[in-house]
Amino acid sequence: MITQHTDVVTEYLREIDLRLTGLPVLQRRELLADLAAHIENERVERNLRGEAELIEVLERLGSPELVAAAAYAEAGPLPPVVGPPMPPPLPPPAPPRERASWVVPVVGAGVIFLLIVMALCAGFLGFSRAGSSQAPAIETAKPAPPAPTASFGVPAPTASFAPPAPTATR
Amino acid sequence: MPDDGQLATSLRRGTLEFCVLAMVELEDRYGTEIVRRLGDEPGLAASEGTIYPLLSRLRRVGWLDSKWAESPSGPPRRYYGLTAAGRAALEHFRTEWVSFRQTVDRLVGTGEAA
Repeated sequence: MITQHTDVVTEYLREIDLRLTGLPVLQRRELLADLAAHIENERVERNLRGEAELIEVLERLGSPELVAAAAYAEAGPLPPVVGPPMPPPLPPPAPPRERASWVVPVVGAGVIFLLIVMALCAGFLGFSRAGSSQAPAIETAKPAPPAPTASFGVPAPTASFAPPAPTATR
Repeated sequence: MPDDGQLATSLRRGTLEFCVLAMVELEDRYGTEIVRRLGDEPGLAASEGTIYPLLSRLRRVGWLDSKWAESPSGPPRRYYGLTAAGRAALEHFRTEWVSFRQTVDRLVGTGEAA
């Protein structure tokens, strides 16, 4: 009995899974887990016996084609399955939908920007006045610049002059 | 009647998700509960299974949150609740919907006065 139930359910879920290969793996697993929990809920709470009643549950869920089509429709813009490995991170981050997708480029750009600023400051100060090169370079590291587009937004509290034209940031 | 299905699909687009948000406005509900309720309404969902991808999207955009909880009888249940952003989206929809409905009623002749 139970193996019969699971046969029909397993086959149904497998048919859906086969159609979801273009989705991110987590969305794919989430949907299959949700569907499996739904079927099991229906089976227990409605005290279903027999394959016919279980097939009714599956029919109400909809054909694998229909469910998979909804999964793609709701998935939003998908990354290309085959294509360039990683495009270069663009400066203006889109409104965040998932944390992992924007944290890395923004933090990475911030770190790179800081390094460039520090290198410029150190180089400039070392060039102009050899004595006080160490302290300002450390202090400029504290205020983190919000976006890589602000090319000289870093306040330099102790250095009375800002580096005049850091065109090398691009 | 293929046109009938197309009309239902078009009307559902953009409105069904707010029916989902409204269902969990006052209390958290688990997936099967939401799906059954919407599935019982004629013409609202294409099929019950298509609501789970919708729930997933609403969670990904931050309008719903979800947590799995043990059930007294049966398998664990995934409960969905409205986030602050979801609540704001639902309120915004309510305002928009009333004015949209009034406009359509006036133009199509389906208003109460007609």
